[in-house]
Amino acid sequence: MNIINNKSALTQCKSAIEVSHVNFAYSKESTPILNIEKWQVSRGEHVFLSGPSGSGKSTLLNLLCGTLTPTAGSIALLGQPFSSLSNRQRDKFRARNIGVVFQQFNLIPYLSVAQNISAAAYFSGKGNSSQKVLANTCELLDRLQLPSHVLHAKADALSIGQQQRVAIARALINSPQLLIVDEPTSALDADARDSFMALLKEVSDDNTMIFVSHDNAMERYFDRHCRISELSPPSTTQPPHAVKHTSKPKQESQ
Amino acid sequence: MLSTIAIESIKRRKTTALLTLLSITISISLLLCVDIVRSQVKTSFTRTVSGVDLIVGAPSGQLNLLLSSVFNIGTPTKGIDYKSVASLKSNKQVSWLIPLSLGDTHRGFRVIGTTNRFFEHFKYGDKQALALTEGRVFEQPLSTVVGADVADSLGYTVGDKIIVSHGLGSVSFNNHDDHPFIISGILEKTGTPVDKAVYVTLQGLEKAHSGPKSAHTSRLRKKTAFLNGHSTNEHEHEHEHEHEHEEPTQDNYDSDAFTPESVSVVMLGLKNRAAALQLQYQINQSKKEPLMAILPGMALAELWQIMGNVEALLLGLSGLIVICALIGLATMLLATMRERYQEIAVLRTIGAGPFTLLLLIQLEAMLLTIVSAALSIALVAVLMSMFKPWLSSTYGLFLSSPLFSQSSVIIVLLILGCTYLVSLFPAIAAYKRGLHAGLNSN
Repeated sequence: MNIINNKSALTQCKSAIEVSHVNFAYSKESTPILNIEKWQVSRGEHVFLSGPSGSGKSTLLNLLCGTLTPTAGSIALLGQPFSSLSNRQRDKFRARNIGVVFQQFNLIPYLSVAQNISAAAYFSGKGNSSQKVLANTCELLDRLQLPSHVLHAKADALSIGQQQRVAIARALINSPQLLIVDEPTSALDADARDSFMALLKEVSDDNTMIFVSHDNAMERYFDRHCRISELSPPSTTQPPHAVKHTSKPKQESQ
Repeated sequence: MLSTIAIESIKRRKTTALLTLLSITISISLLLCVDIVRSQVKTSFTRTVSGVDLIVGAPSGQLNLLLSSVFNIGTPTKGIDYKSVASLKSNKQVSWLIPLSLGDTHRGFRVIGTTNRFFEHFKYGDKQALALTEGRVFEQPLSTVVGADVADSLGYTVGDKIIVSHGLGSVSFNNHDDHPFIISGILEKTGTPVDKAVYVTLQGLEKAHSGPKSAHTSRLRKKTAFLNGHSTNEHEHEHEHEHEHEEPTQDNYDSDAFTPESVSVVMLGLKNRAAALQLQYQINQSKKEPLMAILPGMALAELWQIMGNVEALLLGLSGLIVICALIGLATMLLATMRERYQEIAVLRTIGAGPFTLLLLIQLEAMLLTIVSAALSIALVAVLMSMFKPWLSSTYGLFLSSPLFSQSSVIIVLLILGCTYLVSLFPAIAAYKRGLHAGLNSN
């Protein structure tokens, strides 16, 4: 059975995220950075994840994206045993079901806005026609209040605000059930941040969202506030900068 | 989508990509040029002469005799006395004989004194006989038949008059303008040195040389006359006498009837080709006059062997240059990999698998090489058409169509194969690159 394409399993499960006994360390010798006994996020829930710098927020996001694999324990996403999938299966699952907005937006600078967004649609393997992808892109850009001429502009020619919106459009083009947003407002002033959050909430109303920030003032936009220190008690963990890296972290690479 | 990303990525790095493109284009062009010259030389060589069993001249060297008589390159060997020619003619083994007198030019084209036997027996390519596009063969002593390229480049037609110059330079101050030749025929294109030659009768050439301006000919005559035991005056008198009898007779002119004092080279056709070696031995051992007979096939093989070594060396060097250029391509891709780690990680995040990334990097390398190969083919075609006249006039290399042979196709395919292999290094680097490292490198 192809678990990635098992749509009924993906839609029937009530939990979007289930983290059980997850432990993560960058090397066997080092102290674990994360040690989460149990954490669950329901479908459609918008969760605000906060914590000081170096507390393990990005590590948890990387585990949820599948760019890192837990040293121990399991992560289930949308009812699938995500942490035990093969690398290729995890790539496919991520492309189809998880939308990621990075802190630095990570648009491919030499591609146009349309190409950046359609690349996400193409690599997801959902097989949508280019016309449909273009129509969806235009609709998303419209919802994100981006002018239509931006469509053919190169990503590196856009303003920070425009890049941010294009990054959201790229994350949403495959209609993911789970949206992971990593501190996209850190470089914004209060007005711009509020405007961005209003927009993000509007376009991701149906999605499950994990939003990471060290700014606790953001919690008002979300259904629930989780502190990383509560999920992973500090007594058992150690910030990454305190870890002596003796070997490369185990990461999803191939 | 993958090709769009590859093209946009190359455009992003256009300076390094252009420099890489330039180096690959130059190296592929070099390799193709060497290959074309090699194959064209081989074709040209094998086409040049066929059906001639022996070439006889004064002893000089097998290659010198071949180059001067067949390829019209280099200095002709000194003449052989007509008595020796007559002796060869009377040999039972000899079926036909073509005397050739070399050493004159007409506006940069070699002038060859011969008889109508030449047009009858000389063959090129796959034993193809010479044919005329216009006019007829020698009709009178001052008739000339010109090669296709001569007529083309100088705009000659039948009936035009031309002046022969003494010596082999393209510019000569010693013109035999007392005796203009009249073009009686124009030869069909052969793709051999015949196209770039002007054929005149031995009799006409002798007459041209006997003019008052030809000091060289006078000296030669004096020497020959002295050796023959005649006085110069007597000899010239004989010539004058001869002039009185030579009225141009269109239908019954026999160019073979004239007996020159000497000729430069003689081409022989034998009744039985198997006797060629035996006759060659006999001629080479001749005690009357030192002569040298060569088998055109063997001389061509020797020439090709010398050329072949040089050609293999050139081909090898060009191949190495291409490999260097391709390593440069791989280095360029590897060097840009560092700045692309984030981009690679993003592509991975949005669903591109490691194998897709491997393909992407290889596609970029392939695109650069394919464009380089296309540019090289165009460049080589333009260069070859530009240098075609120069190659044929200077080196006797006649470029024939198609310019690109099967080996050119094989070379391009091999280069693409090499590109695939060398691009594996940066492609594997992209393949192995972790997602986490790329995304957290900001």
